[in-house]
Amino acid sequence: MSDNIFLKRLFQAYYQEKQKEISVVSSLEFREFGFIPWEKQIMIRHIGFESQKVLLSYLIDRGPKHVYSSGSLYLQPEAQHMENKQYQGCDLIVDIDVDHFYTPCKDEHDSWYCNNCETIGTGMQEKCPKCEKSKITKLNWICEKCLDVAKNEIKKLIYDFLIPDFGTDEKDMRIAFSGHRGYHLKVESEELRKLNSDERREIVDYLTGENVSFEVLGLGEKSQMIHGLSKENIGWSQKIMEKVIEILNRPKNEIENMLLDENLFGFTSFYVGSFLNYKDDFLDVITKGERNVWAIEGFGLTNWKKLLRGIVKLIGIELDEPVSIDTHRLIRYPGSLHGKTGFKVQEIKLNELDDFTPLNEMNEKLDPIVFKSKKKLTQKLEIVERALPITKIKGESFGPYVQGDIIEVPHHIAVFLLCKEVAKTI
Amino acid sequence: MSISIDLLKHYPWLPSLKIYYSDIATQDPTAFIEEAFLKYPDGELEQRISKIFKAAFNNLEEIKDYKADELNIYLYLIVKILLFVLNNKPISNRVANTYSKQIYKELIEENEDASLYDICKDLKLKFEYLNLPFKYGVNLNKSQREILKTSFKIHFTDYLKLAANLHDDYRKLVHNALSEGYVYVQKKDLIRLLQEYVRRKLIVEEVKDENNIEKFRKNLLKIREFKELYGNILNNWELKKEDFEYSFKISFKEGSDLSNNFPPCIQDILRRIQEGMNIVHTERLFLVFFLHALNYPTENIIDIFSNLPDFDRKKTKYQVEFAKKKEYTPHSCSTLKSLNICKANESKDEICLEGYYSKKLDTQKKLSHPLFYIQLKQYRNSTKNKANKTKIEKKDER
Ligand code: SF4
Ligand SMILES: [Zn+2]
Ligand SMILES: [Zn+2]
Repeated sequence: MSDNIFLKRLFQAYYQEKQKEISVVSSLEFREFGFIPWEKQIMIRHIGFESQKVLLSYLIDRGPKHVYSSGSLYLQPEAQHMENKQYQGCDLIVDIDVDHFYTPCKDEHDSWYCNNCETIGTGMQEKCPKCEKSKITKLNWICEKCLDVAKNEIKKLIYDFLIPDFGTDEKDMRIAFSGHRGYHLKVESEELRKLNSDERREIVDYLTGENVSFEVLGLGEKSQMIHGLSKENIGWSQKIMEKVIEILNRPKNEIENMLLDENLFGFTSFYVGSFLNYKDDFLDVITKGERNVWAIEGFGLTNWKKLLRGIVKLIGIELDEPVSIDTHRLIRYPGSLHGKTGFKVQEIKLNELDDFTPLNEMNEKLDPIVFKSKKKLTQKLEIVERALPITKIKGESFGPYVQGDIIEVPHHIAVFLLCKEVAKTI
Repeated sequence: MSISIDLLKHYPWLPSLKIYYSDIATQDPTAFIEEAFLKYPDGELEQRISKIFKAAFNNLEEIKDYKADELNIYLYLIVKILLFVLNNKPISNRVANTYSKQIYKELIEENEDASLYDICKDLKLKFEYLNLPFKYGVNLNKSQREILKTSFKIHFTDYLKLAANLHDDYRKLVHNALSEGYVYVQKKDLIRLLQEYVRRKLIVEEVKDENNIEKFRKNLLKIREFKELYGNILNNWELKKEDFEYSFKISFKEGSDLSNNFPPCIQDILRRIQEGMNIVHTERLFLVFFLHALNYPTENIIDIFSNLPDFDRKKTKYQVEFAKKKEYTPHSCSTLKSLNICKANESKDEICLEGYYSKKLDTQKKLSHPLFYIQLKQYRNSTKNKANKTKIEKKDER
């Protein structure tokens, strides 16, 4: 408990000191706010602020563990019931969080244990593989590689979808590092605000490609010949075919590895061999585009669909669907602190995105690690979690640790471990 | 910019209606309807509105003689008011379907893109018109390679709004040509989206609290023509609601006498006319509609009335012909009960009191319309005549 009081004071001090730097969300007075305090695991919702000033004094006063604001605008954001809030519209929000998709390095830094049979394991897991119970406790760690993957998804989202397809204006996009394992992107435009959940689902389907029907796009079998998609058809057909062509132009062994990869295509070596034999003819057919009969020995509709499904997975965006569909969600407030890391929810401009490295940011204005002490203060902690992976922040590595370890680490590392609730002060 | 009055007469559901007819838009609906019937006293308005409802109840794909005249504007507004006071979802849905399908036909038949362009503008859609059709794809599924091109592209937000209720797979955004915020749409697909817009515009949300409508309806029903129209639609609905299983031809035929099979309510009116007693206006209407529905020759109908004390051949002829033009449906049993015209109790008639056994639904059903009475009566006579034969003569077995 006393560690929570300590963290709360730190957060309060941060809001006090940095209040001028915390950006103002647009239409602040029409947004609903929500907070999770240090004292209790509850969400305090349905709060409205008439100005940034009032919000800041609330933050300084309470130093909440988590701060959220709505993507939606309401005439009465403080009303307790949705029907009384007088909903005016909602920004389009995309949440990309490595928690929701596979990355290979998770085997190294994410772990879990089963509360039922006490099995321990690493990597991404939803339920215990041994007893099949979902009562597992997960310990997900921050990782530069994962954050790179997430950043890449955001870039794909912007450069492959939002700008070329949706015509989204750069000035309408708000990008932020979530303060933990992902990024948020918010599009603020009048036109998007009026879309309801069903219409948002259509956009999500477009962005993920998950519900693409290859038949609708033209794949089919006629007189024992497979007719494929055409790169001339603007939209997903074109995206898919351009990706196919790009991959076919890669070195043979790279293609081979991709096709064999369980997480991408998962073809058996028999089919991979056949594919590689015919790949040049295939490339010829699809680049010329006059006839569109796809012929690779052993490839029927099922295999072609399997191939295209894998391609779609490469193109589509790994986003957290409900966040984009639901119009009453709250998302982390830019400039606020993430209570599970002590990192700042950092807004980034599109032209800063390329160079942005949340765990090792050189530009001080964009640095989410706000508790880095200039005086090189250190702190003594005892590890309370059974095992911790390496923590790499600002180029320095700490750990791995096991339960009972007494460590002395820089202030910002201590804040991180305390926020993660894997250590206590001594 | 606003659209031409001719386009508005053709498509009165366009938002510009409010600008051209601002006097109507601000008018109290009762006053508006009174004015409309004054403006069109020859029954054409009623006739064309009835046609729409009839077409809708019969699930027809088109409305015969849809005309782009000024009356069409009044017609559209009155249909909307009718749907509101009817407050009946199935009716709303059917009318919206039929009417919007007709609009699809009308739009498809437009030769120039100009009308479509003006309509999209008037609807404040975010769209672009390309003078040079843009090629956005090919269709390789045809034997001949077909180039897909179009002059219309519509912003994806408007596309999503319009296509929201159309669940065809190929209309999903993910299967469409989306570029720089716009979806390329074929003209006929755009028209299909507009059809959907019109359909949704006509569907009135069912009002849960009847009291809210009641007062409004009461006022409107003070207008004679509106009341007739309203009653007629309900009667028609009653008649169409269930598809009747014993389908006999019940039209007037020279030499045959249907009158033996008339229901007690009609019998009673005919008897009183025969006895030279006067009948009230609604009874007169009911009888005329009823006989019209059976295709009785106008002259025969007029002759029936010749027994009445105040008979005036010329006037009666005009009224009977006018009623025919309106194509009204005779009242349903429930209407007749509320008008005190039903004679089920007095006559102790078995069909009227107990209804009939529906083989199709395997239950006893109440009689809902006097026209069914004739059919049932005929059916019973025919089976009686066949004594021991068990085979039932049904429409589809003949
Ligand atoms: S039940 Fe119907 S048919 Fe029979 S008398 Fe009454 S109104 Fe006429
Ligand atoms: Zn287990
Ligand atoms: Zn990782």
